[in-house]
Amino acid sequence: MQGRRNFLKLSAGAAVGSLAATLPSTVQANTCHEINWDETFDVIIIGSGFAGLSAAINLKRSGIKSVLVLEKMMQFGGNSAINGGWFAVPKNPIQLSQGILDDSPEELVNDQVTAGRGMASKEHLQAIANHALDSYHLCVDSGVKFREGFNMLVGGHNKARAIRTVDGTGGEITRNLYQVAKNEGGDLRLQQYVEDFVMDGNRIIGLKVRSGFRYPNLSTGEITHIKTNKVVIATGGFAMNKQLCNLLDPSIDPTMDCTNAKGATGEVTLTAMSHGAMPVHMNMIQTGHWGSPDEGGFGWSNALLSITFHEGMIASVLDGNRFMNERLDRKYCSDRILAQRNPDNTPAYPIAFFNYNDYPNDDRVVRALRDEMAWKVDSIEELAAKFDVDASALKASITLHNKHVENREDPLFGRLMDTAKHLTPPFVVSRIWPKVHYCMGGLKTDVDGRVIGSKNLAPLPNLYAIGEATGGVHGVNRLSSCACLEGLAGGFIVSKTINTDMEV
Amino acid sequence: MKTFIAALTLLISISSTVYAGDLITAKGKTLGRDNHSFIYEEKDACKTCHVNAKKNTNDAACVECHGTISTIDIDTSRLVNAHANPHKSVHYGEAISCIACHAEHKVKAPLCSECHRTWFKEM
Repeated sequence: MQGRRNFLKLSAGAAVGSLAATLPSTVQANTCHEINWDETFDVIIIGSGFAGLSAAINLKRSGIKSVLVLEKMMQFGGNSAINGGWFAVPKNPIQLSQGILDDSPEELVNDQVTAGRGMASKEHLQAIANHALDSYHLCVDSGVKFREGFNMLVGGHNKARAIRTVDGTGGEITRNLYQVAKNEGGDLRLQQYVEDFVMDGNRIIGLKVRSGFRYPNLSTGEITHIKTNKVVIATGGFAMNKQLCNLLDPSIDPTMDCTNAKGATGEVTLTAMSHGAMPVHMNMIQTGHWGSPDEGGFGWSNALLSITFHEGMIASVLDGNRFMNERLDRKYCSDRILAQRNPDNTPAYPIAFFNYNDYPNDDRVVRALRDEMAWKVDSIEELAAKFDVDASALKASITLHNKHVENREDPLFGRLMDTAKHLTPPFVVSRIWPKVHYCMGGLKTDVDGRVIGSKNLAPLPNLYAIGEATGGVHGVNRLSSCACLEGLAGGFIVSKTINTDMEV
Repeated sequence: MKTFIAALTLLISISSTVYAGDLITAKGKTLGRDNHSFIYEEKDACKTCHVNAKKNTNDAACVECHGTISTIDIDTSRLVNAHANPHKSVHYGEAISCIACHAEHKVKAPLCSECHRTWFKEM
């Protein structure tokens, strides 16, 4: 395909140089340019997480001859590779063996619609849920092992339907799907940064790619142009893009870390928008108040705090006092934690602790101590000294809390005290600060995965999006264990759609 | 050079474990790994890894000499815990480039350390 030439009418913005930009727009829109295409593929998928890999496998199995997967980082799997491996599958075999026989894709969708608070798309969620079992079998047939007998009820679901990979990470899924995609003839490449789309009017006809890119240096690599019939955007969210997150939701301030892989920066979503794709719900960015500043990614903090929120207390390092009801929702807690600031406005990371002796061998504690995102302290004095808190103030605060525990009543913040424990050292202590976690917003698609254009609210020809890169699916709140499902199911949906569109 | 690389490959495959080389001044102002010093003696040294252009590289040259991630053994006694074997990662398996963790001309922290901050140091 080297040296193949095409004479094209290019729309503004795509591969049009600075000279064109100085011309009147009417001329620009009709200027003829030629592009030396370096290669040609039937379908190009951008991104190699759950969605991209599932799409690659499904497209190859549907008979599409040449499928190219472009990953900008030096590793495949995107954010999915560091995901926690929870996967919602109604009617999964473990659920059935537990005697739960009344679950269905519809039941899952009802839970998701409730969580979406009127902003979810029931049609999209149903299309995705209908492929839950297909997605499960894709994993199992690809070599993914799920924990035996493990099927859990997780937050916001009305039934136990969340299974989990043996390795406790979505990486078990992406590393296996990568092998399958490769073995079945997919062309999967690392270090490929998509700089722009090549458009013919509102129709995408190829990609301008910085090949050999070494993250994050945009002066690395060389520009290539790849011609294609169809492009699938499977690039995930933009939670790692601090500038974009802050533009969309000013309550997300720069002190907040993020659970995501570094590549989750959303530039392909922005590129699609620049060519007319319609974004929805972009400001709906899920944050977690359960983050720790002492580890990267999602980490161990969330699991450790599942003990702390109930049995322990959270204190300000500024005055040693509690400052919130530890058991309320993420928004309430986030706001109060983020208000904990030193005089110079830097974070005064609050300390969260509970009794060590109740959980010396619990995995949640053992790994947290091992990896030094939590510490064992033997006295209140040691705790105070370690985090530079006034020891007598902290002691008084713990004594007061213990009185409230005894009375089973929290007059300070109205916390439900049924699970609270009398606190006595040694303690397990960790620090907390909210993290950005998931983007409910993204590119609007029709129910079959076609990207909707903002000009006429109709699909942009040849452009598709699946997974977290899409928006308007979950509404206000994405439920746990549903991102894995959405990505994998998206691959089934988009493969069918592309085959339909190719026949037309 | 090819013969030399072949000989070296043989040498590496005989020894059960290999380590990332130390960073030294390899040529002029360029830093490089001490176990690669033979490469820097070549006239077209750069092209060993930067085949097309200096701005462009991948791990093809690494694999040519050292083998793939699944064939290179690691001294597991030096790992901080049993989960911390970067060549048997539950997140990536073989789906990762050498240069995600290894750099030739500078010290680099392995990818794992972005989350598992106490597991690895720059190397």
